[in-house]
Amino acid sequence: MQRRKLADKTATVVLTMFAAIIVIILTALLGYVLTLGIQQVNWDFLTSKSSSFRAGGGIQDQLFNSFYILLWTMMFTIPLGLAGGIYMAEYAKDNRITAFIRVCIETLASLPSIVLGMFGLLIFVNATGMGYSILAGALTLTIFNLPIMIRTCENALRAVPLELKEGGLALGYTHWRTITTVLLPSAFPSILTGIILSCGLVFGEAAALLYSAGMTTPKLDFGNWNPFTSDSPLNIMRPAETLSVHIWKVNSEGIIPDLRDVADGGAAVLVTVILIFNISARVFGSWLHKKLTAK
Amino acid sequence: MQAVLEREFVEQNWTKEQQEVDLCLDVTDLSIFYGSKQAVMNVSMPIKRHSITALIGPSGCGKSTFLRSINRMNDGIKGFKAEGNILYDDVNLLDTNVDPVALRKEIGMVFQRPNPFPNSILKNLTLPLKEHGLKSKAKREEYAETYLKQVGLWDEVKDRLHESALSLSGGQQQRLCIARTLALQPSVLLLDEPASALDPIATAKIEELLLKLKERYTIVLVTHNLQQAARVADDTAFFYQGEIVEFSDTKTFFQSPKEKRSEDYISGRFG
Repeated sequence: MQRRKLADKTATVVLTMFAAIIVIILTALLGYVLTLGIQQVNWDFLTSKSSSFRAGGGIQDQLFNSFYILLWTMMFTIPLGLAGGIYMAEYAKDNRITAFIRVCIETLASLPSIVLGMFGLLIFVNATGMGYSILAGALTLTIFNLPIMIRTCENALRAVPLELKEGGLALGYTHWRTITTVLLPSAFPSILTGIILSCGLVFGEAAALLYSAGMTTPKLDFGNWNPFTSDSPLNIMRPAETLSVHIWKVNSEGIIPDLRDVADGGAAVLVTVILIFNISARVFGSWLHKKLTAK
Repeated sequence: MQAVLEREFVEQNWTKEQQEVDLCLDVTDLSIFYGSKQAVMNVSMPIKRHSITALIGPSGCGKSTFLRSINRMNDGIKGFKAEGNILYDDVNLLDTNVDPVALRKEIGMVFQRPNPFPNSILKNLTLPLKEHGLKSKAKREEYAETYLKQVGLWDEVKDRLHESALSLSGGQQQRLCIARTLALQPSVLLLDEPASALDPIATAKIEELLLKLKERYTIVLVTHNLQQAARVADDTAFFYQGEIVEFSDTKTFFQSPKEKRSEDYISGRFG
């Protein structure tokens, strides 16, 4: 009896310790990045162009590029991921083909992102001849993000209680209408949480973009919103260096005198944005859930 | 209908009287398989119009499988196969050319756990109506009121129609689900242990409601609760290991069961 109690207590202490270690690592990391970087971040840093050799450059274009590529990635990923998730949760029969698809999705999810970047270079950049571009970057990131999106949607749909689905069917809804009017609305909070979380992942991705969206940004005119002109920020056929790629580049091959400051500031901004994504995913998701199941 | 009435139930020895009543559903020689496992064995059961037929028996005896076959809810289950006839207006419901989607509007179902949609109380009634093509919003809301009144829920919810249906108590949710099903104007109501998740007071309300509803609908009720069957059912079928051990009017069944196994089950000796 004594020993069983002791074992129970030990387990509690050890597990709490591990949890504490995780929290400590995270806070240390965040604290380090933020304290170093936050001093560099000011309005001027966020809204001025980067410089190739002089000190005092900002990250305006890179920040815009990151969000713009994220937007396009999500426009491709969300419909594809939803379709894939619905198929896997509702239509795929329990057979070998489905098992094979599942293995494919899992493999795709575990591919190193630099390999996806190379794939993007060969297929989107070179084979289609579109060159380093936002489109090529977004397509590469779509492949990077798709497996997670499919799994998120599939799991969210599977988590809807069977009674609810049967309720729809028993009311004479077709399978498709049951999916669209019963399952998807119920799964929506978890799907949305998944989407926002993967936004954070995509926003921070660098390796997959090095050779697809490229490491340079042409001179952009933020007054020009015609997406078909070469100096418009909205042009999707132009190369675009994102924030995370910029941090990598400044650190590894930068020649500006204040490269450490720019990298630190960029990292702080990057981490902050990702934190905002993650926190808002939690807050928004639970708010939606509460709203749907409100007392 | 004539053909149905003339059918002879040799196997089960129905009385003359039983054969001549107006049948709503006539199940004959129904066998149900899940893969190689047979869940229901060659079962026949005439279900009278505007009556309550209770299906009782221990867990896993096939009563829910039987019930769910009537509105084809088992269709999606892997390895499911049904043989025999479930005649409804001279149509065998098991025919592949019967559209389960259309069928389920005609034969409604209420489940064990209340399953309102995570929408407002009102929308739980109006959305299915909209789904089935009732275009006028005013009409839909009028129907909603009618059927909420029919299940005795109107007075309890009329001031909070736009609140989430999940804010209702379990018993209220279940009555909402019944109202939602009735709003589609089915002629048959299948209930799969509708009160087993509810407290005694809510259960009493459901039973009272069922007795009222049987004037307009044919009700088939699966229940674990023998007293419930005795209280509300006109006919009772006792399922055991996929077979019907005994099927007779409820009074006879509970007071003078013909089969030893029925007697044992009623008196709590097994099950």
